[in-house]
Amino acid sequence: MYASRNLSKCTKDCLCLFVCPTGATNTETGQIDSSRCLDGCRLCVDACPSKAIFLVMDEYPEPAPKDAASASKMMDLCSSRFAQEKAAAAIAASSDEPGLKKLTEALRQSLRITAEDCAREAGFMLPQSEPVRALMEELESS
Amino acid sequence: MRVMEQNIHESLPVIFSNLQKASEKQQNYDSAEHFGKLSEKYYQDAVSGDLRTIKDMIVTDISSMADIQSLAGENGDRGILRALRWGGKVAAIQKSLIDRYLSKGEALTEGKEIFLCEACGFIFLGNAVPGLCPVCKAPSSRFTKVGK
Ligand code: SF4
Ligand code: SF4
Repeated sequence: MYASRNLSKCTKDCLCLFVCPTGATNTETGQIDSSRCLDGCRLCVDACPSKAIFLVMDEYPEPAPKDAASASKMMDLCSSRFAQEKAAAAIAASSDEPGLKKLTEALRQSLRITAEDCAREAGFMLPQSEPVRALMEELESS
Repeated sequence: MRVMEQNIHESLPVIFSNLQKASEKQQNYDSAEHFGKLSEKYYQDAVSGDLRTIKDMIVTDISSMADIQSLAGENGDRGILRALRWGGKVAAIQKSLIDRYLSKGEALTEGKEIFLCEACGFIFLGNAVPGLCPVCKAPSSRFTKVGK
């Protein structure tokens, strides 16, 4: 576990510089030096008046397994949304009308985000989870 | 060897771009890059597209969302219910934009910008970024402008 700064929230008040025992918060990039951060210390997290610092985990708990029937239906929805994304991309690439180009480009991106949400809720949310490990193994063996 | 489900196989670019975003949030940038490459590797362009066909598919999706909703309700899967609530609203907006384009043509977007909520996919046609996403309540910082 190590501390990380949300740079858009940091007001450079510098309280984190005073409390950090290793100087990890004092860097020229503005980001905290994770290699010097003490696992689980969190002094800077509590000291920051702007709530700009959070802890990044190294390990994540295994999510609850998804019901197979719902997961499969979410993947059907995912592939349908993705097919529409590709159709929108084809229109955006071939059209000369600026309005249609812009609209289909927006649809393309919007459809990808909604398709990703379906995949996420079908069980592919966390990179470190069992469904993702199983998928990677399947791909490697095929 | 287990044969991969068709719907998973077709969706690999989406599964991987989602894992790319998740890895970025975890600040695992090597892993993010790896998933990004896999997402591109499995992507195949569609040959062509048609607005009316997209619209018909959206209508079908909206009705299948209702079926999944009752199943997820029985299982108490709040994650799926949340995804369907956002996804249903966004699908309705996608469909209405297509309808409006089909009736108004190029006049629809004239003098207007399109903004996209990166959290839920909500599309906003207007002159300024919304203060809050009406679908998922993400702040204006999650919006990006589409195109130039
Ligand atoms: S205490 Fe918080 S606001 Fe101040 S410099 Fe550190 S991260 Fe930024
Ligand atoms: S968690 Fe502790 S060691 Fe790590 S940056 Fe913050 S104050 Fe320094």
